[in-house]
Order: sequence, then C-alpha cells, then structure tokens
Amino acid sequence: MNSEAAPAMNRPSPIDADEAALIRAAQKGDHEAFERLVHAYDRGVLQIAMNLLRSPDDAHDIYQEAFLRVFKNLHLFRLDSSFSTWLYRIVTNLCLDLMRKRKTRREESSVVETADGPRDRLDTVAEGRELGDPQRSLISRQLRSRINRVLDELTEKERLVFELRHYQGMRLRAIGETLGTSEEAAKMCLFRATQKMRVALGDFV
Amino acid sequence: MNCELAKKNAALFLYGELTIEEEQAFQDHIETCADCGREFETEKRVQAALNRNEVAADPALLARSRRELGLRLENARMRRAGLGAWLRRLSDLRIAVLARPAAALALVALGFFGARLATPKAAPAREVAGLASAEPGVLRVRYLEPGPSGRVQLVVDETRQRTISGTVDDDQIRRLLLAAARESTDAGLRAESMDVLKADRSAGELRPVLLYALQHDSNPGVRLKALDALKPYGTEADVRAALTQVLLTDDNPGVRAQAIDLLVEHKGGMTAGVLQEVVQKENNSYVRLRCQRALEDMNASVGTF
Repeated sequence: MNSEAAPAMNRPSPIDADEAALIRAAQKGDHEAFERLVHAYDRGVLQIAMNLLRSPDDAHDIYQEAFLRVFKNLHLFRLDSSFSTWLYRIVTNLCLDLMRKRKTRREESSVVETADGPRDRLDTVAEGRELGDPQRSLISRQLRSRINRVLDELTEKERLVFELRHYQGMRLRAIGETLGTSEEAAKMCLFRATQKMRVALGDFV
Repeated sequence: MNCELAKKNAALFLYGELTIEEEQAFQDHIETCADCGREFETEKRVQAALNRNEVAADPALLARSRRELGLRLENARMRRAGLGAWLRRLSDLRIAVLARPAAALALVALGFFGARLATPKAAPAREVAGLASAEPGVLRVRYLEPGPSGRVQLVVDETRQRTISGTVDDDQIRRLLLAAARESTDAGLRAESMDVLKADRSAGELRPVLLYALQHDSNPGVRLKALDALKPYGTEADVRAALTQVLLTDDNPGVRAQAIDLLVEHKGGMTAGVLQEVVQKENNSYVRLRCQRALEDMNASVGTF
C-alpha cells in the first residue's frame, strides 16, 4: 500500500471484542457503556455532518438525532455486522434528508451574507486558520470556494463517497456497505468525484 | 498500463484503493511516462488542497453536542422508564380486575417459592478432620495455626441447627416467630411467621411487627399477609393511620385495594375524607373504582369540597 493516501481520520475499525462487549452492555441499559460508544464515534459523526452540511448548527442537530436513533434502536442491532457501518448509514441518511430539504426549500442556502459580501457558510467556518496572512487567506478562500462549488455539483452518491473516503478515511468496501451499494460502484463514484475536482482545481494548485 | 488507465487510477492510487498488481503497474507506468508523471503530481496537489479544505469538528461544538445529547438521553430514559411503569400499571390493573384473589395468592406464592429457589445451594464440601461434610451448622474462624505441609489448624465457633416444636402460646416459640417475621431475609419465612402468629392475639408484640411490615416490607406478598393479620385490629387508630399511609403511598394496587377493604370494614370519621383524597390521586382505575363504590356505600360524595 502506498504511503501517500489521504489521511485516515476516525477510521472505523471492524467490530472487535471490546466494542462487542460495550455494545452488549449498552443494549442491557448500561449508561456508561453507551456513553463510551458515543465518544468512540462522535467526532467522526460531527465531522461527516459538518463536511456535508457546512453548518455547525445542522451538524449539531444531526449528531443529536443520529445518537438518539442509535439509543432507541440499539436493541435491534446484531453483532454480526459493523456498528460503524450502521451508525454512518444513519448519519448519511439524515444528512441526505436535510440536504434534499434544503434543495427543495431553497431557504437554507450554504451562502451566507458577511461584511465581505455573500460567502459560503463553510468558508466562514474554516477561515480562522489563515486570518494572520491576507494573501494566503485570499487564495484559501478562492480555493475553498471552488472546492465547495464542485462539492455542490456532485451527485448525492458521489458526494457521500468522496466525503467518507477523503475526510473519514473509510475504505470503499465499508462505504459501499454504508450506502447500500457495491464496492465497485463506490469506486466509480470516487473516481468521478475526483475527476471533477481535478478539472476544477487542476490549474489552481 | 496505458495512459488512459493511469490517469483513471491516479486518485485511486493515492487513496490506496488499487490492488497490489494495479499499484505496481501504475508505478511502473508513471516512471516511464513523463506526461502521466506530471498528471500524478497535479493529482497529489489537488488532494493536498482538498485536505486543507477539511472542516475539523470544533471541540466546543463537540462539547456542546455531547452535553445536549446527555440531557436528551436522560429524558429518553425517563420516558422509557415511565412507559415501563405504565405497562406495569396496565398489567396490575388487568390482574386486579380479572383475578385479584388469584393475583394476591400468586404474589404470596412467589414470595415463598422465589425466596426458597433463590437460596444458594452449598457446594459439596471435602472431608475435613473434625468436621463431617454433611454436618449442618454455621462456622466462624476464631483462631488459626499454620502447620507443616500446608496443613492448618482452625478453632471455630459452630452454630448447630436443631428442631424445636410448640405452639405460639409458648414464649420461646413466639419470640422466635416474631424475630423471623421481623428480621428473616426469606420473604416466605416472614409471611409464614405472620400467618402463624396471627392466631395468637394475647400478646401486644405482634401488632408493631405487622404494622412495620405493612409499611416497609419490600415484598408485596408479605405486606398482604401483614394486612390480613391486622384485620382484627381494624378499629385501632395506629392501624387505620397505617392503612391510610398504605393507600396513599404503596406502589402495589393489590395492597392498596386490600387496604380499602379493611378501612371501610370498620368505618371511622376520617374514612370518607381519605377515600375522597385517594379518588383524586389514584392512577389505577380498579383501585379508584373500589374507592368510589366504598364512598357510594357510605353515601358520601366522590369529590372533595
């Protein structure tokens, strides 16, 4: 395996004995076990929601709803499947629902008004890192703007596969399971998404 | 590998999503093809730019989300517990309406047999010098003296079991039964002791034991037995006060229903007022109905004024 792959963040691991014990305890009503389960995955959940929805408030809502659904349905979870796959399926479905609602309503635009004019919501979130260098800040802002435009133009599946592979470091096989599709189909989505990024950013980087 | 496939595989190579053979073929190709090598460098820069666009989960947002989830989970657990209580009440109601006597009997039987079944069986003991394995008794080590070859000498206190018999009129029997009714960890034994003791109405020691059991025993079967044993004392003020307390606080509808029966059997000046209060507070419809009927029998109003 090459060493230049994108950084794996919160990479979901296959279910192991410790996690299985934790899930069993949580299924029996052990509050602490459930909390440990939440803490094992909640950064990843928040990050997926942030990247997909570009709004801290929406990400916060998705976090709440996802873990409440896990709490309500944990007794139905069978230990022969992956907990992270189940959890991320819940999260991505919730995010997709919200993204579709936004598209329908057109009122939750990712563009927000700022002192500098209309800006992408995500730009305002991620900007803090470049505040000290105006030139770098400008380039970063333009770059982000392009990236976010491409992200908006991706199909739902391309977007999800790209987010889960690039920012969550999930393997394509796990992504396929999460999204209810094949590994090969997930690979095609990733390929198309990266091609679109390449076209949009190739002359900029 | 040709140039078209190399371009297609560049991103997948960086994601580590190619097979070992595909990776090898890709690397071999870009080492010999300058165009594809440049394309690959561009692909790496695109990925680096994408990495910079990542939005990390803000620790403050994470902390806020965890805090709120904690509260929501607490609410969900309380709702779940409330639903459980509601289902138990529904179950109690069904039992009370359809088979109250059978339910009361079942509770007592559960106390008897459950407690007995739950009594742990002793593991078979090895033969030890000075102690027959089948010999019953409670041992407590007083002294010990380690000896050679891992042997040890113990000096023990031994409580031996023996059988005594008599009637409740016998002072010793009565005291032992009172102690069992008050202190035994076996709910069945507590209830049986009360049952035997209720035959003896001469001594005043029983009533406080029954009153305590009625108000504090954790086993509803024992509380029902105490209620039954208290019937002869239904006119006594301390008993009526305890019955009122049970009516308002006992969590078992069977016990509350029996308390109503005993309370109205010997009507006192405060009975109607107590029942009116229960009608307002009672969440079990059978018990509420019992109260209403008792009030009607007393020609008293169901409501309070």
